[in-house]
Amino acid sequence: MVEVGILLQIVFWGLYAGCIYLLLATGLNLIFGVMKILNFAHGEFLMLGAYVTAAILALTGINPYAIILLTMLVLALIGGVVERLCFRPILGTGKLNEIFLSIGLIYVFESMAALIWGDRWQSIQSPYGGISIPIGPISLPLDYLIILVVTAGILAGLYLFLERTPIGMAIRATSQNRRGAMLVGIDVERMDMLSFGIGSALAAGAGTLWVVSGQVFNPYMGSIPAIKAFAIIILGGLGSIPGAIAGGLLYGLAENATAFLIGGSWKDAVSFIVLIVVLIIRPRGLFGEAEE
Amino acid sequence: MRGLDSVRLVRYSTYLALALAVIAPFASGNLYLLNLLILMLIFIIFASSWNLLAISGQGSLGHAAFFGIGGYASTLIAVKTGLSPFIALPLGGAVAAGVGLLIGLTCVRLKEWFLAMVTFGFAIITQTLVVSVLTPVTGGWDGIASPRLLSATIPGYAFIEYYSILAIAALCILAIRALMGSRIGLAFAAIRENETEARASGVDPVRYRLLGFAASAFLAGVAGALEIHHFGYVTPEIFGINISFWPVIYSIFGGLGTVAGPVIGTVMLTIVWEGLKNFGLTFERFIIIGLILILVVIFLPRGLVSLPEEIRKRRGPGRTREGSEKRSDG
Repeated sequence: MVEVGILLQIVFWGLYAGCIYLLLATGLNLIFGVMKILNFAHGEFLMLGAYVTAAILALTGINPYAIILLTMLVLALIGGVVERLCFRPILGTGKLNEIFLSIGLIYVFESMAALIWGDRWQSIQSPYGGISIPIGPISLPLDYLIILVVTAGILAGLYLFLERTPIGMAIRATSQNRRGAMLVGIDVERMDMLSFGIGSALAAGAGTLWVVSGQVFNPYMGSIPAIKAFAIIILGGLGSIPGAIAGGLLYGLAENATAFLIGGSWKDAVSFIVLIVVLIIRPRGLFGEAEE
Repeated sequence: MRGLDSVRLVRYSTYLALALAVIAPFASGNLYLLNLLILMLIFIIFASSWNLLAISGQGSLGHAAFFGIGGYASTLIAVKTGLSPFIALPLGGAVAAGVGLLIGLTCVRLKEWFLAMVTFGFAIITQTLVVSVLTPVTGGWDGIASPRLLSATIPGYAFIEYYSILAIAALCILAIRALMGSRIGLAFAAIRENETEARASGVDPVRYRLLGFAASAFLAGVAGALEIHHFGYVTPEIFGINISFWPVIYSIFGGLGTVAGPVIGTVMLTIVWEGLKNFGLTFERFIIIGLILILVVIFLPRGLVSLPEEIRKRRGPGRTREGSEKRSDG
């Protein structure tokens, strides 16, 4: 029988990992909803978010959790530029082109980061590094709790933005029916750029949370979490933001449970085995509609 | 008339390329360059194998799986049975083809992103298997030594190796060309263009997709085996993401879906790559390759092979309109 303490530990680890995945997956799905494209280079925004956070921290020394909004703003701008220069010209020219373009972006971003910051593994120290809070039989690092709260805050902000503001409504309208949105006078290309920027900002937020928890990062760290975010949105439904959130948390839990049960080296492979099994049964994802 | 021109162009440039490939070792006369040419030939096979998959209307972001399986299988066969690497080579390819058939079975119903994800995942799963359950035979992360294609004691072994690999590469490309011209190639094209219509005219897409997957995996496996026997060592790094991406980049750069595309793409990008290395650039190389890829996807989606045609089009009557479109675009 597994001890309660270990079980709780796995749950919290899983929730923490889940926060990172769900931010990535939500961003991807927001972009997919509006533009109907998948950016395979999405993980590079996570990586850049990590480095930008570390750079700002080194420069100013303020609390890393306070940097998250600044990091998100920087990456939103970069995301907007990438959308305008790279994705807009190929919009509607076929899904293969998106994949190829993304591969190019992956190389550009990874190597630029390596050029600027070096390609060694780095890590930063959180101001709450040593503090843990006892919860039942285990003691939990304070950082994990803060990360859960920050993620909830970001999601609440996103929810309010999409539901209550005119721009948020325009984004949702574009995502539901692009032509209809055009007819009522919404500048859909601006919505593309905006949603791409917000999606990138969410990935950057995940990057900040990644570094403040003390995890190591290097220029090539983005691919694997991004790939997992793809798995999550494929399982949870393309374009569905609630699916991305639930999927992200479940994925984090499942991954850490597997790591505990059959060993850490299987962590990455198991997620793909699950994905492949699901896709064999349902080639368009668990909640994917039957297109074409 | 124009069609004839381009046919003739292709034929002459093929002769020229082959002639260059044959005399290249003498012209260079140094071992470093010969090594480079060997690796280039191996990647021509690898990129062509990926391209064959694209011709059959599929794709893969995890082709390193077959490259690596071919390398490991051929090495293990050669080590365990004592066979010459030249015989183990096609056997390694056959093992990769067998695995490719299995993976193809899971992929036949998948499209685009789903296919990309699953194939990417297979490369990671394969690597995980190699470093965990299969460690007793594969040596885990440390890898294992592999018999060299030719022993270094044979006089002029590097030259013999180069010409053997050149012959194998030529054979592979001829095979792909023959396949494309055959009924199978037509079936591939039919499925690629419109699956429903292909099915209506009696072409079974599943059968041809599987055939495409197995054939592509076979060639990728042969390429992997060649590389490993050339280096004399194999590690799980061979399943890396970079190895999966190179054939994609080469094929797109040269021209997807054409026989010449991957060849031209591999040669040109290898020259760019090595040239940049001589300038002492490391990370910048990747940035430049990435930028080239992005520019090609946006401005020359059918690759370098379509360049003469594009230039002709620009020179034609539509020139002014094209120009104004460009301006409003960027």
